[in-house]
Amino acid sequence: MIMERRGRILTVLLLMGLGFAFVALRLVYLQVFQRAELTARAERQQERLVKLEPKRGSIYDRMHRELAVSLDVDSIYGVPAEIENPRAVAQRLSQILHENPRLLERRLAGERRFVWLSRKVEPVKAEKVKALCNPEIGCLLESRRFYPKKTLAGPLLGFTGMDNEGLEGLERAYDKVLRGVSGWMIAEKDAVGRTVFPGGSGFRYQQQTKPGNDIVLTIDEVIQHIAEKELDQTLASSHAKGGVCIVMDPQTGEVLALSVRTTVHGRQAFNPNEPQLYKPAEWRNRAVTDAYEPGSIFKPILASAALEERVVHPLERIDCSAGKIQIADRMIKDAHENGVLTFTDVIAESSNVGTIKVAMRLGKERFSKYIAAFGFGSKTGVDIPGEIPGLLKDYRVWSGVSIGSIAIGQEIGVTPMQMAAAYCALANGGMLMKPYIVSSIIDRDGGEGKSFGPQPVRRAISEETCAKVNRILQRVVESGTGQKAQPAGYTAAGKTGTAQKIDQKTGLYSKKDYVSSFVGFVPAVSPKLVILVMVDTPEGVVWGGSVAAPVFKAIAEQSLAYLQVAPDDKGDRMLLVAR
Amino acid sequence: MTTRAGDIGSFIFERGKRGSFRRVLIALLIIGGLILYVGGKVKIVRLGYQIEALEREKRELERANRSLRIEASSLSSPARIEEIAIKRLGMIHPPKENRVMVRRKPTSAQE
Repeated sequence: MIMERRGRILTVLLLMGLGFAFVALRLVYLQVFQRAELTARAERQQERLVKLEPKRGSIYDRMHRELAVSLDVDSIYGVPAEIENPRAVAQRLSQILHENPRLLERRLAGERRFVWLSRKVEPVKAEKVKALCNPEIGCLLESRRFYPKKTLAGPLLGFTGMDNEGLEGLERAYDKVLRGVSGWMIAEKDAVGRTVFPGGSGFRYQQQTKPGNDIVLTIDEVIQHIAEKELDQTLASSHAKGGVCIVMDPQTGEVLALSVRTTVHGRQAFNPNEPQLYKPAEWRNRAVTDAYEPGSIFKPILASAALEERVVHPLERIDCSAGKIQIADRMIKDAHENGVLTFTDVIAESSNVGTIKVAMRLGKERFSKYIAAFGFGSKTGVDIPGEIPGLLKDYRVWSGVSIGSIAIGQEIGVTPMQMAAAYCALANGGMLMKPYIVSSIIDRDGGEGKSFGPQPVRRAISEETCAKVNRILQRVVESGTGQKAQPAGYTAAGKTGTAQKIDQKTGLYSKKDYVSSFVGFVPAVSPKLVILVMVDTPEGVVWGGSVAAPVFKAIAEQSLAYLQVAPDDKGDRMLLVAR
Repeated sequence: MTTRAGDIGSFIFERGKRGSFRRVLIALLIIGGLILYVGGKVKIVRLGYQIEALEREKRELERANRSLRIEASSLSSPARIEEIAIKRLGMIHPPKENRVMVRRKPTSAQE
């Protein structure tokens, strides 16, 4: 009996022992021989590779007011393989997302596991989609670029693409700086796919993200608004095709405002929040990408060269009484007969005849040297993509008429930025400054940023000559063609321009299409601002002194008041109060 | 009389009460240690979920904050302020004759 019982116990123990031995052997097999494969499989099941997108840097104006910022918003995706009735789902979604239902249905049909339905949607739409509680439709966060000031400085700022890459404007020029560096992270997940231990030991960072750097512009939001508002009003009243306005600090070369407008009837100016609604011509920054014949606003360049070379004196009398001049095979006329004028009045009254006579004295070699010294024919180096050097022929291939044509701003192509930079030199005592838009880069990762300061390019003319040109340009505003540019309370200096455009059909100068311009600086004695206004193809009155000069005046008055620059022209009604 | 229970009793108590008590104590300690280890692990996982939830909440709040900042920036645009000032509040730019230039008196140091 006892033997029998012991036998049973031994049998049970043996079986248990065998069982444990089997388990032990299995463990050895799994832990030792199958280790690598099973470890890899476990990692695949438990770990998730998470791509960490860097936050794109912001763009601020000079007072650190946001002009472009990024925000995470929802993108809507679908799982077509699990959708039984794609048509019904597409119908419901199209009502929320305002997308074509047929397009949505086509995307939702098929056996794919993931398909984008609408990316970077507004929060309201995303909430409505979430409220559907449809497990086959989901939301993922993606970074979207916002331009809170809407159309303000649109062509200058540019815009980004769907994957946050800079496509135009400053977004493109500074894409590497703004974009940052993507990171990768391996996170543990549980059986239902939830992330466990965020930031804990379960997280193994492969590469940390580096947020994009912020950039601070030299642009002032308020001056930019003033420039755009005044330009828009004039474009609307003159039914012009477009216009450019640049406001710069002549002492430093900082661009305080840069407004580029292309008029498309029934549509507001380019809004970078919705770039898909506009054509490339509407977002192109024509202040640097397009060259145009400047017309009479180029005459001060000739005046500077002639005065510097002492081939003329400001008070020398020049006979313009014929009102026309034959140069090579071309007859160039004045707008009206002026009689005998001092050289100062030749510029003030914008006499082509007088200007050409002085240019002939100067000679093409010396004239071309000064044209180059003022930066024409080469890029200014401003940090805006797409800049062109303009069109300037080598003086050795100038025709007989070239010297006369170029002196009055024909046969030469300049960009508005080149012209504004040249007037900065006239305003600051003769030093050509490199225009710049970005004043600093802020490293959001704690590293050292970068600052940009004024960069003198070269001395174009002496201070003495500059003072003479300054007085001539003051005369233009006081009693010449630019009287409508006179800002209340301030002295101003500048030049009007009314340049004929080339008729694309005939290749000759058009009789009805003009570019009306005014460029100058305020206050005249101690200039704080250089303002260029260019209106493309105005209708009706086309003179620069009538179309562009009032815009200059309005921008100058408002901007100087905003900058708290004390009026220097006391006038007759200005009350001075001692405090 | 030998019973089955008696066999077990003899198995436990045959080698003396002190030795057996030690074995039980060791077994309890091992089991207790395992429970503590597993409990700790469970707690860590639970805390992990809580941290993840808090992280998500933090991200949401940051997003809301950023969104509000964008809205504030949009609302404070000069175009909108000027429109409200002129159209709603009836404000105008002061004409030249209403402007007064106040010349700052030089301070004693400047004198």
